[in-house]
Amino acid sequence: MDSSEKELIANLKSPKHREKAFQLLVKTYQERLYWHVRKIVMNHDDADDILQNVYIKVWKNVDTFREDSTLFTWLFRIATNESLSFLQKQRRHPVLSMNEISDYLTDSLESDVYFDGDEIQKKLQLAIIKLPEKQRIVFNMKYFDEMKYEEMSEILKTSVGALKASFHFAVKKIEEYLDEDHK
Amino acid sequence: MKEKDENIENLFGNLKNGQPFRVPEGYFETFAERLQVRIEEEELPQKKRTLFFYLKPALSMAASIALVMLLVYVPIKKFFPSTQGYLTQQKSTIDSVDKVSVLPVPVDLFSYFSEGQFVSAVADMKVIESETLSPDSLGDYISANYTDFDIIANN
Repeated sequence: MDSSEKELIANLKSPKHREKAFQLLVKTYQERLYWHVRKIVMNHDDADDILQNVYIKVWKNVDTFREDSTLFTWLFRIATNESLSFLQKQRRHPVLSMNEISDYLTDSLESDVYFDGDEIQKKLQLAIIKLPEKQRIVFNMKYFDEMKYEEMSEILKTSVGALKASFHFAVKKIEEYLDEDHK
Repeated sequence: MKEKDENIENLFGNLKNGQPFRVPEGYFETFAERLQVRIEEEELPQKKRTLFFYLKPALSMAASIALVMLLVYVPIKKFFPSTQGYLTQQKSTIDSVDKVSVLPVPVDLFSYFSEGQFVSAVADMKVIESETLSPDSLGDYISANYTDFDIIANN
């Protein structure tokens, strides 16, 4: 944790400087957090709602931030949890959870007016949607966000070995999905 | 495993560079402002609720007591005017009839009771006045209800 981040945290916890520090926090991380959430929930409107919820949680709980991780890690953890909670709420039946979430995300992608990808990009996104939740998040963080496994390990509270395995299986499944599509 | 993963990354390399998703124009520029409005909205009801939250139990209790009074005391007062409490109150009202003009709430008995109820209440009062005991009637009552032994034992 560098000195500027320590100063930002101190200002966030100070009632006098809190508002200004919070604005800086929003400006600094909003884009990275947005794309992280967007790739989990696909739809812009959902991502916008979730991102607002993430920052509201941060605003309300910044006093309880223990500083045993970086702000970036803390924010990404909240954003990931909020996104997953949002998807859990879309379930109508717990037994059909995975298929239902996959269907919801496919519908979101199909109906999203802010998706400009071509056919190949759409196929890749549909292949990612078919992945189990954890593998999907790991794949997005590694492949698109180019995060280090150590960072991902802190955010997802999962061992580096398990993350590597998840990424490997995710890649394999996407490959199979695209191969089937080509046949 | 690593080699294979890298191959796949290379295979999708051109896809990674092109961002298929976009956002509405000016989204990130206005996000902080919209967030600020949302935070203010979230905090506003909490401030308003605080006072009500603390007063709620007291208000509920006051409302319950008022309701019980309304459902029990008023019907008793209205439909059983000959009870002792009613007579005491009515007597005190009549005793202070000369003070009626200075009471904060005007006492209008005719609008509150039917004519029949009022007449019967007045008739009851007369009965009570006529039943005041004379020394002779008291003596009759004692001799009819007590033996000599009771009277001596009590003295």
